[in-house]
Amino acid sequence: MKMIACTEGRSDRVEAFSLEMINAARSIAAAGDEVVAFFAGQAAKAAASSFGAADRLIAADAAGSDLIPAEAYARLLRDTIAAEQPDLVLVPYSANGLDVAADIAARTGWPLLSYVNEIKRDGESLNVVAQMYGGKVLAECVVKLPAVLMVNPGAFEEAMPGPVDAAKVQQFDAMPAIESSRVKMVAIDVPDYADVDLTTAERIVCVGRGIGDEASIDIARDLATILGAEIAGSRPVVDNGWLPKLRQVGKSGQKVKPKLYLALGVSGAPEHLEGMSHADLIIAVNTDPKAPIFNVAHYGATCDLFDLVASLSDRLQASPGR
Amino acid sequence: MNILVVLRMIPDSAGELQLAEDGRGIDREWLDFQLNDFDDHALEEAILLKEGSGATVTAVAIGEGANRVLQMAAARGADEVIALQTEDDAMISSRTIAATIAATARAKSADLVLCGVQSTEDVFGQLAPYVGALLDWPHVSGTNRVLPDGAGLRVTQERGAGVAVTYEMALPAVLGVQTASKAPRYVSGSKLREASKTPIGRATLEPSGFERSAEIRELRLPTQGGSGEDLGNDAENVADRLVAILAANGLARK
Ligand SMILES: Cc1cc2nc3c(=O)[nH]c(=O)nc-3n(C[C@H](O)[C@H](O)[C@H](O)COP(=O)(O)OP(=O)(O)OC[C@H]3O[C@@H](n4cnc5c(N)ncnc54)[C@H](O)[C@@H]3O)c2cc1C
Ligand SMILES: Nc1ncnc2c1ncn2[C@@H]1O[C@H](COP(=O)(O)O)[C@@H](O)[C@H]1O
Repeated sequence: MKMIACTEGRSDRVEAFSLEMINAARSIAAAGDEVVAFFAGQAAKAAASSFGAADRLIAADAAGSDLIPAEAYARLLRDTIAAEQPDLVLVPYSANGLDVAADIAARTGWPLLSYVNEIKRDGESLNVVAQMYGGKVLAECVVKLPAVLMVNPGAFEEAMPGPVDAAKVQQFDAMPAIESSRVKMVAIDVPDYADVDLTTAERIVCVGRGIGDEASIDIARDLATILGAEIAGSRPVVDNGWLPKLRQVGKSGQKVKPKLYLALGVSGAPEHLEGMSHADLIIAVNTDPKAPIFNVAHYGATCDLFDLVASLSDRLQASPGR
Repeated sequence: MNILVVLRMIPDSAGELQLAEDGRGIDREWLDFQLNDFDDHALEEAILLKEGSGATVTAVAIGEGANRVLQMAAARGADEVIALQTEDDAMISSRTIAATIAATARAKSADLVLCGVQSTEDVFGQLAPYVGALLDWPHVSGTNRVLPDGAGLRVTQERGAGVAVTYEMALPAVLGVQTASKAPRYVSGSKLREASKTPIGRATLEPSGFERSAEIRELRLPTQGGSGEDLGNDAENVADRLVAILAANGLARK
C-alpha cells in the first residue's frame, strides 16, 4: 500500500501537525508499504530536514510565496496523486485541508471521511473512527481504498523529526501552479501579541456561548481577576464581538497550555479542544452532562455557570490566598 | 451578482442525542433542528453583499424546519427561497447534496455560492469544496470577510493563531463561510409575518454521482468523563471542592 501524507507550512516553518500525518500513515504501514510525504510551500527545506519518518518526500517549492492558496495546493497534490497512484491520502483538518480534502475526493471520486481520530487496517479496507455532532458522537466506519481521510490535529502523536535521505527528496517548482491559481493571496495579517498572549498565560478562564450575553462576560472577568487569570472565549463569543480575537482559544484561535483552564459554558467542540486539551488542570462547568468538554476535563461540574461563578467568587474573595 | 446560499437544518447538538435503534444514525424523532450556525453566517454575508452591491439572493434550505428558516431568510432580504426535499430521517451529507446544489447554481446563473464552512453532519466531506470541484469554480473555506472587488471578490480567511489571509479571487466562486463580516442580524416579528407570504419553491434531490463514501458500521457515544472527576451539580458544593482543588494544585494564590 502506498500512502500520501499531506503536510503544510508557513514562511520557513512546517506545521507540527505535518509530523502527525506522517505518523498516522506510518502507524498503519506494513512491511513493503510506502509513506510519501507531500509538501507544498516555502518551507521545502524545513520539510526535507524534518520529515525523515516518511520514506520519501515530494516537495513543491513555493520559494516566492509565504503561504500557498488551497487551490494551488490541491492542483499540485492532484498531479502527485496522478503520478503516484496512492491507495490512501491523509489530509490534515486545517484551514487548507478543509478546501483540499473534499476537492480531491470530488475530482477522483474516491471516498472521503472527515474528522478522523483513529485508523486501523482490515484487509483491503480501513476501519476508521470519525467524530460527528461536535464531538458528541463517534462514527465507526469502513472505508474502501483508494480513499481520502481528513485527520484531526492532535489525534496522532508527532513522528520523530529528522532529515529525509537526499536521494529520496523530489523537489519541483510550485510557482507555476500558484501563478495560474484563480485565488491569489494578497496579504497575511499576523496579530500583535504584545497586548495579550494566551499561549504564555498560566491561568485562563474561558467563557463559551453558555455565558449568554455580553454583559455577563463581566462576571467571568471578575472571577478571572480574582484568580489572576486571563479571560478567553470560544469562537461564538469572539464572533459576537464580546471578546477580542486574540482571546479566542482553539483551531483558529490560540493553542494554550496553562496550569489552570476553567471552561464556563463551553461545549468542547473538537475545534475548541484542539486549542486547550493539553492544559495541566482543566475544570469544566456545563449544564449538559454529555458535553464533550467533560471528555478532557480533570474536574467537571454540571451546575449553572452563573451559580458557580457567584459562589466561587464569594469564597475566593472571603479568603484571598487561602 | 447572483448569489446562491445554502441553509442546512441540523440537530441541536446542545440537546441530547440518542442513537437510532440500528445504531447507524441518531434518533431524529424528538430532536430539535436548527439552522447550521455557519450557514446563518453565510446567509448574513449574502445579504451584506446584496446591500453593498445590489446582488440577488436565492436561498435553498434543506431538512426539517426548512420552511421556517426560509421565511426568516426572506425577512432578512433573500429574493427567492427554495426548499430542497430530502428523505425524512436522513442525515444531510454534503456529498449527497453537492450535485443538486451545483445544478441549482447553474440553473439560477449564480456567480457565487455561499455555504457554511462545515456542519456537524458532514463527516463525508464539506459542502463548499465539493460544489466548487463539481463546478470547477475556485473555492475558499473559513472566510470571515467577503467584499466585492472589481469583477471579483476580496476574501479574508481565518488561519490558526489569529492569523488572517486575504485573497483576491475571480467569480464565479464558492465560499465556505466561517463568520460573516457582521454578526447575523435580528429580524422583527412584523418583518417575519410579512415574509411569511413569500412563496416557497420546491426542488428535489438529484443523484449525487458519487459512490457511497463509507459505511457507517456503528455510532457510539464517547466514553464520558475519561479519567475526570464529576463534582456534581450543586454550585455551593462545587465551589467548596474547587477552592480545595485550587489550593492542592498550588493555584490558590495569584
Ligand atoms: C474551521 C473551524 C475553526 C474553528 N475554530 C474554533 C476556535 O478556534 N475556537 C472555538 O472555540 N471554536 C472554533 N470553531 C467552532 C466550534 O466548532 C464550535 O462551534 C464552538 O467551539 C462552540 O462554542 P461553545 O462551546 O462556546 O458553544 P456551544 O457549542 O453552543 O456550547 C455552549 C455550551 O454552554 C452550555 N451552557 C449553556 N448555558 C449554560 C449555563 N448557564 N451554565 C453552564 N453551561 C451552560 C451548554 O450546555 C453548551 O454545552 C471552529 C469551527 C471551524 C469549522
Ligand atoms: N441558564 C441556563 N441554565 C442551564 N442550562 C441552560 C441555561 N441556558 C441555556 N441552557 C442550556 O444550554 C443549551 C444551549 O443554550 P442556548 O445557546 O441558550 O440555546 C440548551 O440545551 C439549554 O437548555
